[in-house]
Amino acid sequence: MRQHLIELVLFSTYAELRAEAARSYLGLLWWVLEPALMMGAFYLVFDVILKSGGPDYLPFLLIGLTVWQWMKSCITHGGYAIWTNLAMVRQVSLPPHVFPLIAMLSDTVKFFFILALLLVILWCAGYPPNAAYLALPIVFAVTFLAAAGAGFVVAALVPLVPDMRFVIEQVLTVVMFLSGVVFALDKVPPPLSTIMALNPVAVLMEATRGILMYGRWPNWVGLSKVTAISLIACWLGAMFVSRLAPRYPKLAT
Amino acid sequence: MSGDVLIELENVGVAFNAQRRMSGGHFWALEDVSLQLRRGERLGVIGRNGAGKSTLLRTIAGILAPDRGTIRRAPVSCQLLSLALGFVPHLSGRDNAVLSGLLIGLRRRDIFARLAAIREFSELGDFFEQPIAAYSAGMTMRLAFSVAIQVEPDVLLIDEVLSVGDAEFQHKSGAALRARMGEGHTVVLVSHDESQIASICNRVLWIEHGKSVLEADRDTVFAAYHRDMHPVGSAA
Repeated sequence: MRQHLIELVLFSTYAELRAEAARSYLGLLWWVLEPALMMGAFYLVFDVILKSGGPDYLPFLLIGLTVWQWMKSCITHGGYAIWTNLAMVRQVSLPPHVFPLIAMLSDTVKFFFILALLLVILWCAGYPPNAAYLALPIVFAVTFLAAAGAGFVVAALVPLVPDMRFVIEQVLTVVMFLSGVVFALDKVPPPLSTIMALNPVAVLMEATRGILMYGRWPNWVGLSKVTAISLIACWLGAMFVSRLAPRYPKLAT
Repeated sequence: MSGDVLIELENVGVAFNAQRRMSGGHFWALEDVSLQLRRGERLGVIGRNGAGKSTLLRTIAGILAPDRGTIRRAPVSCQLLSLALGFVPHLSGRDNAVLSGLLIGLRRRDIFARLAAIREFSELGDFFEQPIAAYSAGMTMRLAFSVAIQVEPDVLLIDEVLSVGDAEFQHKSGAALRARMGEGHTVVLVSHDESQIASICNRVLWIEHGKSVLEADRDTVFAAYHRDMHPVGSAA
């Protein structure tokens, strides 16, 4: 049973990526092109026009956006996955957890394509590979856990309250600006900045940038806290999905 | 549960919300249905439109959980025969066959072993490697049936999907399905078509307004069902 589900999740992930690549003329190229265009837009507005960046702003922004886009797409795609698959939920008896998982895994594959491009840009811009890269897999694993935790909680609730979708995008935009994705949190005055630094997304941004830009090892204590919070969120989300599972087949899309 | 009973429903009811509102009422699609399904039995379910036949089938499949009553099942797999489950337009016939096969509960290696047979049965030829977005409706249904018929659960549940495609393929798919059902499988078949149920099933359950009226051997139930539909003395 369990092996069957693993096979199902993996093949569905492959199928989703393959279908997405086939849907447009440039196919696979868009996985990289689309984020590149977005990064260009942010760079234009915040650095070229507003001159709010300083030295190191380009890598700072690119890393932040790459990691954030990955988290955001896991949360939204994963979060809507049960809702968008309700037609299937009505026809087949499967644990509904597989749908968010498939969405998050395919977004993660796409993230690795963008990451490859990011690394090349960083190396060309004078931020070479370093020993702290060894910590990257751990930081990425925690990042995935954090996004998956939020994604599962959202996924459990959206089928019951589809209206949530209109709010989630806006909430995520606020989270992005509060997490130091686009501008550094050191521009925020002290009492507020300490509170904002508790934000798990901010910790993950900080860790990834430290490694890629300065060869700095992550703050293991902070990372452990984020891991704990993420695991709790994953457990909560998975439990919500399990509890609500009997109700999904009765819902209209 | 006695020896060969695979699935047993006792006074099962399933309720749906009438609409998506904070205070929506609910209606009982199934109110009170009891049945016993034994190994090797081919149970037909009859009843008028809206009697709850499809809801019953999805409850037996384990998709819907009963809101009242109890359902007991031996450790067996139940699968609803679903056409085109999970089909994605931009994927090839082959990829869709694998995907759909996984969704109906087959293991990957089993599907790969049957891909040649699926291709053969669907008569798609080289189109099997093309995206199904390029298929005609008939081709898609041929592929869908060829995959769906591969399902091998302990209990096969069928909701009126007995033949698809053009006349020739209808004949072929109907024959394949009858062959599957005749192999000693345990089957639950829901259909409007009494002759189909009569030719396949050895037991019949009659439900009306979500309640089981009668479960017995085929002839007894049909006799009672016809008496009810055409009461003696009424204009024929």
